[in-house]
Parts: sequence; structure tokens; C-alpha cells
Amino acid sequence: MDPAVESWREILAPQALDLCLLTAFLALAFVSFFRKSVALKYVTLVASVGYLGFAKSSLVSVSDVFRLTDLSVPEFKYSLAWYAFMLFVVFSTVLWGRVYCGRVCAFGALTQLLDPIIPRKWRFEIPVRVEKYANLIKYAILAAVLVYFLITHDVALPVRYVEPFWMFSLFGTTGMWVGLGVLLAATLIVRNVYCRFLCPVGAALGIISQLTTVFSIKRWSECRTCKICEKTCEWGAIRGPKIVKSECVRCDDCERLYMDQKKCPHWLILFKRKGNTAVPVSTLS
Amino acid sequence: MRKKLVALALSLCCGAVVAAAADRIFTTANPATELKRLFPAATAFSTLTGEPLHFTAYAADPKVTPATPPLGVAFWTTDLVPQEHGYHGPIHILVGMDMTGVLTGVVVTYDSEPYGYFSVEPPKFATQFKGKKIGDPFRVGGDVDVVSRASISIASATRAIRDSARMAAKQLLAEAAK
Repeated sequence: MDPAVESWREILAPQALDLCLLTAFLALAFVSFFRKSVALKYVTLVASVGYLGFAKSSLVSVSDVFRLTDLSVPEFKYSLAWYAFMLFVVFSTVLWGRVYCGRVCAFGALTQLLDPIIPRKWRFEIPVRVEKYANLIKYAILAAVLVYFLITHDVALPVRYVEPFWMFSLFGTTGMWVGLGVLLAATLIVRNVYCRFLCPVGAALGIISQLTTVFSIKRWSECRTCKICEKTCEWGAIRGPKIVKSECVRCDDCERLYMDQKKCPHWLILFKRKGNTAVPVSTLS
Repeated sequence: MRKKLVALALSLCCGAVVAAAADRIFTTANPATELKRLFPAATAFSTLTGEPLHFTAYAADPKVTPATPPLGVAFWTTDLVPQEHGYHGPIHILVGMDMTGVLTGVVVTYDSEPYGYFSVEPPKFATQFKGKKIGDPFRVGGDVDVVSRASISIASATRAIRDSARMAAKQLLAEAAK
């Protein structure tokens, strides 16, 4: 009859499946990230939409930013998978930047999966000088919802009307579905519009990335003049020689270019000087 | 840019301090309508008192007829198991229990769960606890319905009801009633 007489077995058993699946998913995300593999990245994105999205609806929400202000967290022993997930998000962001946004977040994964399907002619590319300022919108949204939360202590409204992540639960009012429809329509025209310009969680992780990112992306001295990566970056995160840490989601596109000895001028110049053709990366870097 | 971001981070920290000091939402001390829902037959309720804190429901006003036996007790999960948190903070639930350890019902009055609107707020969640005995398993996926994608909220609310009811039964109900 005592309230606290649960054995560890009783506590762990209902969580075991989720812990295993989450570990498997995060392992997949890491492997795809470290191998810079395009195919594995798409597998990760699909797994994210299916498992973290529709199955679990486990996405970092702005309500998880709110909890930094009142230090309210779920009970540890009953929410092990959630803690593991949050630890992954924080540590990966500190170490590599917005990896979460680039391949773990189910909504980001969904919009990235739309990319290869949508015809290029539908696309509208936002001019760089506009983009620089549009990037700041998400910080304004983050500040606005934080102020709203501190005043009202209301979690429900931001979760339903500022974020689209509830969509994976399939519970929504007509108003919420209409808003989501507008957002997805905008995503067809402007690539990843929510992640790049609107997401308050992305803004929060962007702040962490900007301040930390222990292992940042390597740049060659040639990057000062060469624009090939800057033009390739679909996230508008490369400006001249610099990578904007708060915008970079570690999509691997530029890193794959650095390794491409037929495209990257760094290698082309090197080979011209040496008078030979491609050599294994490992012997050079 | 870097300076701006540091400034933003600092202002967020300041906000955190302000928030920690700001008002929190507390359980209401006189939930008259909720008590009436848990004990429709009752005509009088005691104030929130005792150890653990609880209301006592009576069929007749004990001030008029002092010998009237209590119909049951009602208590806030947030008073009895304050450490029980859902996805975001405690879920406020008023639990009614008769003198034999059978729940007369539960009412969820407040939550700040992001997905509360499809987990603990719909009446469907509360009604399944009516008639439950304190010795029942209260297992999500067993005698309590699973709501997938809101498992932390549902599990926390269920534990809060189970643990507070067992605690109240142990301390408030007569030994013979168990």
C-alpha cells in the first residue's frame, strides 16, 4: 500500500523499448554525421519523421526553453529517454553546433525531405542582404514568447500557435491546421523557412552554437576567395570566409565539397603545384 | 555580433531570475464546484485542513448534527505528492475518495503540460479513475488508457492520483475500512 514501493524493474520495464529505439536512432544520426554520407543522412531524416515525429512526438519545444526559467523538469527515473534525448541535444550543440536542427528534429527532417521533391522553379531564394536580417526574426520570436511565458506562465498558446511541432500528435483545432497549412505552403517556396527564420528553439540552440561549438567546420585559406561552398550552402550559413555558427546546422554539404578533390580549389591548386592527380585525403590533411 | 549574443544570453539569465521570484500558480483552497462534482450527495464540506491536508465531505452539516459520519475525503495531489512533476510542472488534481478507499472521482483543474490538451485535460482521462480502489494497479497501458505522444504527462498524473490516494487512505481512513 505504500506509495513508493516500485522496484527498479517496474520502473525500467515500460521505458526499455523507448531507450533502445532512441539509442539506435541517435547512433544512426551520429554515424551519418561522422561519415558525411548523403544516403545515411536521408535514412536519418526518414527515421526522425517516423520515430521522433509521428511515433513519439519527441521534439525540443519552446516549452523546454521555458523550463530553464523555472527549472521545472520531469521526474528523472520515470523519464530516462527524455533525459538522454535532452543531454544529446545540449552536448551535440556545444560540441558541433546545431546538429539537432539539421538531422534530429522531426519537423526539420520533414521540410528537408520536401527539398528534393519540390521542383526548383517553384523556389524563391531570399537575397543575402535580406536573409541576414530575416535570420534575426527567430530571436525576436524567442524573446517574445519568453516574455509572454514569464508574464502569464502559459505554455499552451506558444506550443500551439508559435510552433508547428504539435502536428506530429495529429491533435489540432481547425485554426492550428490552417496555420500549419500556410507554413507548409511557405516552405514549398522558401526552403526550410521555419528552421531558418522563425524557430525559437533554433534561435536558442543558435545562441549556444555561437558561444561554444568546440569542433567547428574546417576552412581552407582558399575559402577567402572561393565562393563554391557559400553558393552551395542551403542554410545561408556561409558568408565570405566565415561560417555563421548560429545558422549552420552541420548539413555536411560544404564538408563534402572540401573533401571533393575534383571540385574544391584547395586540392586543385595543390595538385597543379605538385603536378599530379588525386591523392588520398588522409595523407594530406 | 558576438557581443550582441552574449548580451542576449545575459538578458535571458536575468529573465530567469525574475521568473524564479515571480508568482507561481497555487492550488485553490476553496474548490466548491469541484468538491460538489466529487460528492454530489454532500451538503457540507470542511475547510482544507489536517495532516495530510484534506477536505471532509458530509451529508449533513456537522455543526448542526455533530454525529453525522463523513461521506469521504478530497485532497489535492499537489499537497500530498508535491514532488510529482509532469512534462512541465505539477498537474493539479483534486481527488475524491470515500471512507472505504474507493475513488469517487478526480478533477484536473490546472496543468502546464504542452500536450495537456489531448492528454490530461479531456474528461476522458479523469472519468476512468472513478470507482478505482486504492489497491488497483493504476498502470498506464493496463487499467489506465495510454495516450501515445503524451506519455510523460499521463504517467505523472496517474502516479500523482495513485500515490496521493494511497497516502491519504493510510493516514485518514479507519483501519477497518482497508
